[in-house]
Amino acid sequence: MTFFGLQWALPTVLLLLPLALLPWFTHNQDKTVAWSHFVPADPISNVIGLSLKILASLVVASLIFTLAGPHVPEKKVERVGKGAEVVILVDRSRSMDDPFSTRGKALAVNRTVGKGDSKRRIAKKYLLEFVDKRPDNRFGFVLFSDKALDLLPLTYNKKSVVATINASALGKGLSETNIAKAMIKAAEMYSKEDYHGSRTVLLVSDGGQEFSEEDKQKITELYKVENLRLYWIYMRSTTGLSIEEESEDDSWKNTPEKKLHKFFKELAIPYRVFEIESVKSFSEAIDTIDEQQDQTLIVEEIVPRENKTEPFFWLALITMLALVFAQFYTAWGVRKAHD
Amino acid sequence: MKLSYQSRITASAFLMLIIMVLILLALVFPRTERSVKVMDLLFVLDITQSMDVSDVELNGETVSRLTWAKDYTKKTLQKLPCGSHVGLAAFSESRSLVLMNPVEVCASYNDLTQMLSKIHGSIAWALSSEVSKAAFGAIDQAKLMDPSPDVVFITDGHEAPPLHETLYPKYKKKFDGVTGIFVGVGGDELLPIPKHKFDGTADGFWKQGEVLHEDVYASLRSDSAEMRAARPKTEHLSAQKKAHIQRLAKMLDFDAVLSPEESNVVIDALENKVETRDQIVNYNWAPWFASIALLLLVLLYLPFRFIRS
Repeated sequence: MTFFGLQWALPTVLLLLPLALLPWFTHNQDKTVAWSHFVPADPISNVIGLSLKILASLVVASLIFTLAGPHVPEKKVERVGKGAEVVILVDRSRSMDDPFSTRGKALAVNRTVGKGDSKRRIAKKYLLEFVDKRPDNRFGFVLFSDKALDLLPLTYNKKSVVATINASALGKGLSETNIAKAMIKAAEMYSKEDYHGSRTVLLVSDGGQEFSEEDKQKITELYKVENLRLYWIYMRSTTGLSIEEESEDDSWKNTPEKKLHKFFKELAIPYRVFEIESVKSFSEAIDTIDEQQDQTLIVEEIVPRENKTEPFFWLALITMLALVFAQFYTAWGVRKAHD
Repeated sequence: MKLSYQSRITASAFLMLIIMVLILLALVFPRTERSVKVMDLLFVLDITQSMDVSDVELNGETVSRLTWAKDYTKKTLQKLPCGSHVGLAAFSESRSLVLMNPVEVCASYNDLTQMLSKIHGSIAWALSSEVSKAAFGAIDQAKLMDPSPDVVFITDGHEAPPLHETLYPKYKKKFDGVTGIFVGVGGDELLPIPKHKFDGTADGFWKQGEVLHEDVYASLRSDSAEMRAARPKTEHLSAQKKAHIQRLAKMLDFDAVLSPEESNVVIDALENKVETRDQIVNYNWAPWFASIALLLLVLLYLPFRFIRS
């Protein structure tokens, strides 16, 4: 409820306000006078009597106001910061349970659920670091396997982002991968938002995929309209060849990763791929993104709720002080008169 | 009591002085530390297809079990004291997928409710609904978190494929202090279960011939043909499986709350069941001083004479 431009936590307490009228009806301190016409009319006394009643009403009302919990609610303010809005897409498919292996190492077949360094765990570790380094960024999170869910809409709350990333590393993976769906979902998340500045989609996956023509068209359009930039952190398996490497070998040229990379390059948006083959390169990729992402961004900040009881207490205190003085003065005067 | 006019004036002057001191105290009295009981919880919502059956009431309307479960979770979040931590998970197939690890409920309330609103049957990754195993999985995941939350598992208890009496899954690991509560949702009447295509669009209802009505493996091994023929073929229909939820609760040493109406029911049950933590909060005494001051003022100005001359 708004009243005096303030919000009230317990507006029902304001129903007590009529109590402020009590001083106007009280007879407690009336003096029994034999015949009131004996008392000469005294305009100054009348004014004093009236002011004392007003002051008393003021004290009662102020105290009721303090009890009703006046406050300025938390509000959003905008300021200019450095950074970006980032929607993180993390592949939740089974293959991410595979151990994260380095180039040249023999392909490890065992999946590492619950132990060691699965790709998902490594990804989690560095994503957490990435989030931690970027205080002004706003993050969203899309969980995808063969379905995509915009689990965490864009938020400044780092704790929620961290908790969601942590959850993404728990348990084993889910079924298959559908990157196209996830990418469309990410773009749709932005389309619901006002434009604040640099908009990024950060895709973390361990494989590529060939998109249908329909999906390709939709992604091309959406990513351009929404003014997005795309980073692909490709946690590659041990195929040996880099995604940028040109090779006459058809079997490599036609791999889904390569095709996906080609499609991303053709999108008319800023795009970079980071091939991750070791923990070190992951860390470097994150740093590179860090440098590139220091752009101007409008940051919304929440100013916490502000309590406004104090002014009312001060008002009550000062008024009460005046009343106490007046009453003691009266008591002193009456005593004098009786002496 | 009779008091002279003079003493009345003096008495009220002193009363006013007391009131003034109370107001002063309200301003300057320091906040003191007080502890409130908070808990860490992992809410697991059943998103299997039986949860799409509309047989529960919410604000006078009949809604699906999942809608009710989400609303109930939200109401519980609102009532939990600040300092409590809440995580969210969804159950489909035979596992509880953690969507967000526990976060402080007041600071992250907005994100929690946003995520809660995203939980929907269409994100299910498989069609089966193995409640027991998912409950075990929820405990396993809770154990991996630090501090380990307790589990609030909201389900209608519908197992698909059905279990055989001789083959109920058992939880063989240590609980490591993780406990919890089952919240049963759903009506008592067997109703058809809505069917969805993989992309989430509605596709009529499950028919009797489309679902398994028994644990085929166990039944073939141990049951006579008559026994198998006599078994009701109602697995395409769903009601709240109260006995099953209670049995699961007993096995896991959880509590079970079936179809609660108020969110206090679950919070009260949790307070008795799970280990709460004491969280120190600043307690503000100002309202107490202000209330007493106000009461005295009202008495002072009350238009009745308590003290007459």
